[in-house]
Amino acid sequence: MITLDIQNLEAKIGDKQILKGLNLQLEEGKVHAIMGPNGAGKSTLSKAIVGHYDIEVLGGDILFKGKSIKDMEPEERAKEGIFLSFQNPVEIPGVNNAYFLRTALNAKRVHEGKEELNAAQFLRLMKGHLEELGMKPDMISRSLNEGFSGGEKKRNEILQMLILEPEVIILDEIDSGLDIDALRAVSEGINKMKDGKRSFLVITHYSRILDYIEPDYIHVLKDGQIVKTAGAELVAQLEEEGYDSIVNEQ
Amino acid sequence: MRLSDFKNQSLEELASKFDISPNNKALKKFVEMGGLPSKKSEAYRYFDVESLLDGEYESLDYTQKVITEGEEIVIENGVIISAPQGLRIYYESCEQIDNNHFDPLYYLSHALYPRTIKIEVDGDAELKIVHRFTKSYAIINYRIVLFNQANRHSTIYEHFEGELVQNSLVMYGYDMHIAQDSSFRVVKVQTMQNQNYSMLASHKINIARQASCMFKSFDLGGDHALQLLKIELDEHAHIDAQHLLYLNAEAKRGTVSQIIHKRQNSTSNQEAKNILDGASRGIFDALIKVEHSAKYTKAIQNSKAILLHEKAYMVSKPQLEIYIDELEASHGSTTGQLDPQQLFYLQSRGIPAVEARKMLVIAFANTMMETIRDSRHQELIRNEFDKVFYSKEN
Repeated sequence: MITLDIQNLEAKIGDKQILKGLNLQLEEGKVHAIMGPNGAGKSTLSKAIVGHYDIEVLGGDILFKGKSIKDMEPEERAKEGIFLSFQNPVEIPGVNNAYFLRTALNAKRVHEGKEELNAAQFLRLMKGHLEELGMKPDMISRSLNEGFSGGEKKRNEILQMLILEPEVIILDEIDSGLDIDALRAVSEGINKMKDGKRSFLVITHYSRILDYIEPDYIHVLKDGQIVKTAGAELVAQLEEEGYDSIVNEQ
Repeated sequence: MRLSDFKNQSLEELASKFDISPNNKALKKFVEMGGLPSKKSEAYRYFDVESLLDGEYESLDYTQKVITEGEEIVIENGVIISAPQGLRIYYESCEQIDNNHFDPLYYLSHALYPRTIKIEVDGDAELKIVHRFTKSYAIINYRIVLFNQANRHSTIYEHFEGELVQNSLVMYGYDMHIAQDSSFRVVKVQTMQNQNYSMLASHKINIARQASCMFKSFDLGGDHALQLLKIELDEHAHIDAQHLLYLNAEAKRGTVSQIIHKRQNSTSNQEAKNILDGASRGIFDALIKVEHSAKYTKAIQNSKAILLHEKAYMVSKPQLEIYIDELEASHGSTTGQLDPQQLFYLQSRGIPAVEARKMLVIAFANTMMETIRDSRHQELIRNEFDKVFYSKEN
């Protein structure tokens, strides 16, 4: 079953067109990795899926479980079940991490017709996930991402993912700035979410993260289009021969 | 009484009209400074003071009343009506009027209220002062002199209540004398809303050697209000002045201040956070002056403003006036809108745009509210902020 179906997507940032007729289908329960050189449009693709204001969609469509989300507000897409783990999560001084997450979770639960969690119920849930990720308990009371190290920010993204339980998870350069221990902890958190139902889109420059999160498909993005799709074996070829060899094959 | 009727009057004429001696020091200083301020006056350049002075107000009788025992000091229309038992609080002529205050109304206020309310704060006290106003179309003018004791640590929580204060002009202020080696904290919370009243609060704070003062104002209500602060620092003295301002509709409010480093090794930290909605105008016109005798001063000054509406306008004017080289000083000012990246981040987690916007505004204010150590009082300020902010938003 196709969870996310991106059809002939064209998008620009400012005056520059970045995505030029991109087609991509995410299968239910599968891990899709997007690789490509700098400037290929990897981050633009992730932003287009979640409805970032910087992106103007010029053409094509994005279907989530058969329904177009192209014109939805970012919060509506999130409540539907799409989650982006940011490459550089923004710091928001004064917004308590736990309060923020409970507000987000309850917005989603209301959308799904479920009862909101009260503070005590939510804290129990959050504490459990903090322990799993090896995060300090003070993450509950600290301001959202303020003064966090690079590793703490990425773990906090994964914490949000675990709590919000999205159906499509986009991981934009999740491995950047992480040491081995942090990478392992983050990967374990991600792998825990693999339940045969959720779809993952892992955007990365390097193959290192794919040692920890085994992909089902590798897509090579170049100049705003997917130029090759293959199995996990493509990673080794890219490592040895670089992107140019793939592009030249076309 | 119309204050503008006293424009361009000689000392003798004013003394006669106010029925006070022409030798009154405050009145003399008021006349020396050119009398009533106008829009050309430095202190009121960005504040429409003339329309306030032009209003017709009833003059009040400040006859002393019997002070009943209560948990807090209540000053009703400029007269003490209640105070905690054992507190030394009385009326006395003010002997220590500042010689060089920048606000002419500081002197007029003293001249018109010659027997000031004097409060001597004993020991490590925590006091609450409630300013209560029950008169409409009145000029309510009074002065408070505060003393604390050396080596003591005190806190004053200042609140305002207005039952019937429509179209009144409140002129009040402190002369604070912070004793050597002591610490003194003042937390002012002003939330009176929609009363079409105006307030001019002209203060003078002297901070003695090795003393420390924290002055935090949470200015969340009122149409026209200005606090005018003059602070003088002795050797190794410290002031931490923080101002949170929230305005909407056509309100004009803010702070005009002078922090003067008089002696060496004194330190100051002044921070203003301003949230402006509607067609409001915020004012932060603040000078830090480091005199020749104030070597090794450290002075930090910063103002940040968020404009929530295209018609909102912030006057932010941090200034440093420095006469020595041996110091550390910095000042800065930023005015902008909510950060779109922060807004998007919250939305990307499913929080609706309107809620995300509120969250960011409250977060901006939170960084100042969370510096209040007393949790009960912090909660009270948060509630007051939520009340004024959400009542407008909804």
